[in-house]
Amino acid sequence: MSERSERISGRGLIRPIPDRDSAAWWARTARHEFVLQGCDACGTLRFPARVYCHACRSRDWSWRPVEPTGTIESWIVTHQPFTPGAATPYVVVMVRLTAAPDCVMYGNWYRDREPHPGEPVQASFTYVDEELSLINWRPGSE
Amino acid sequence: MTKRLLGFRDRAAVAGVGYTAFSKDSEVSTLTLACEAVLAALDDAGLEPGDVDGLATHRVGDSAPPSLVGPALGLRPPSWYLDQFGGGSVSHSVVGQAALAVASGVAETVVCYRAINARSEFRMGGTGRPLPASPEVQYQAPYGYVAPPQMYAMYARAHMTKYGTKAEHFGQLAVTQRANATKNPRALMRTPITLDDYLGSRWIAEPFRLLDCCLETDGACALVVTTAERARDLRRPPVLISAAAWGGGHSHLSSGSGDVTVTSAAELAPRLYGMAGAGPRDIDVAQIYDCFTYSVIVQLEDYGFCAKGEGGPYVAEGHTALGGRLPVNTHGGFLSEGYVHGINHIAEAVSQLRGDAGDRQTPGAEVALSTAQPGYVLAATSALILRKG
Ligand SMILES: [Zn+2]
Repeated sequence: MSERSERISGRGLIRPIPDRDSAAWWARTARHEFVLQGCDACGTLRFPARVYCHACRSRDWSWRPVEPTGTIESWIVTHQPFTPGAATPYVVVMVRLTAAPDCVMYGNWYRDREPHPGEPVQASFTYVDEELSLINWRPGSE
Repeated sequence: MTKRLLGFRDRAAVAGVGYTAFSKDSEVSTLTLACEAVLAALDDAGLEPGDVDGLATHRVGDSAPPSLVGPALGLRPPSWYLDQFGGGSVSHSVVGQAALAVASGVAETVVCYRAINARSEFRMGGTGRPLPASPEVQYQAPYGYVAPPQMYAMYARAHMTKYGTKAEHFGQLAVTQRANATKNPRALMRTPITLDDYLGSRWIAEPFRLLDCCLETDGACALVVTTAERARDLRRPPVLISAAAWGGGHSHLSSGSGDVTVTSAAELAPRLYGMAGAGPRDIDVAQIYDCFTYSVIVQLEDYGFCAKGEGGPYVAEGHTALGGRLPVNTHGGFLSEGYVHGINHIAEAVSQLRGDAGDRQTPGAEVALSTAQPGYVLAATSALILRKG
């Protein structure tokens, strides 16, 4: 399930700056848990992390392990180095989550071919260090 | 309901327009740019600095605020001011809020400005300065997804996939706007381009090429907003603010996301048209936010000029060219005139309604639409409908 990428270090990783809502999500991701927040009052799943349920305004929630899959909503191939040390070209995908179709996540795609629209994908965890792993995406058929 | 929608329709007007030169390096501060544009706008209106009792701008930490510009020009303490956080998405709300201030009597003469060194000092979107500490950036930046062209390219791809929008559609828009810019002495890019030039330009973030992207410009622009009544007594023909709308939308950045091929403009448009008592068929000329080619195509749909998904063919059929059904970005837009973050669209709309746009004039233009970044970045959007006074 986990893979280390050569490219991510070469790209000059910008570390995420977790906030008070998201720190626990990043900590779970570092442990390679694929979780979303679930509302304990109405069951709605949400991402990114925040305290209030947008459906019922409850503040009661818990982490829910969900299927780490989705479908390709869109993708880009970046050629212009927007960040220092970027090794171009590289692919960023936008993935609509199977467990929460209102939610999208981003990630890199490290295959030799580009993704297809609507293609089923699965999450993979890219280990950076003990405190940080990133969720990336690969074909669901692998 | 009707009364609420009427709002401040036609009660405020744009009475003056001022520009600095546009360039890649102004060699002066944003404070200097702001002062120069404000003075030029007052001169255009036939007003004195002493007449000003309000200042308004928007910024992303990249420019001089009203609290510096007012004292720098020796203006009296303002009755009202606005220092709005935000980029292109709020550009038109600044003028809308000035109109609201003037219509309510809180202020009488407000100068709205935007002054940027967006090429030489502060480039947009994570290039050359620290990323903003937005709660959503953390889910994107680690993947090298940081800049507006990447975000718009992502949505453009989704539109291409869903509706068959083609590179040639984007290209035709770029070619058309460049043709407009050849008739605009102020435009930075005045050499005509062809579809082959477009297709041959280098990739920035596929599906976007260099010629999908707007310029990065140093410059400033200012607009004098006063009551319709007062504007009629001033030097230039008044241009009435028939409708202004802002707000709305939800973030597509990382969170709750429906159809990503629809922008916040679709939510805003009914409110805007309702306040103006007009619809898409009444618009004679439109300045539509063109940070990227795709942003025009999606807004043509979301503001109701064509059916959803048909923005690309609408452009390719020539409807947005000068002399077409709906001339769009008659000055060349941000793609070819220059990028002052929205306000130069409003200034061009005013010029078209005054009838002083020279070779690029839309004959008989009486009603114009001008729009802001449609909300793919930072969710909100804003827009104005202006009318010949
Ligand atoms: Zn709930």
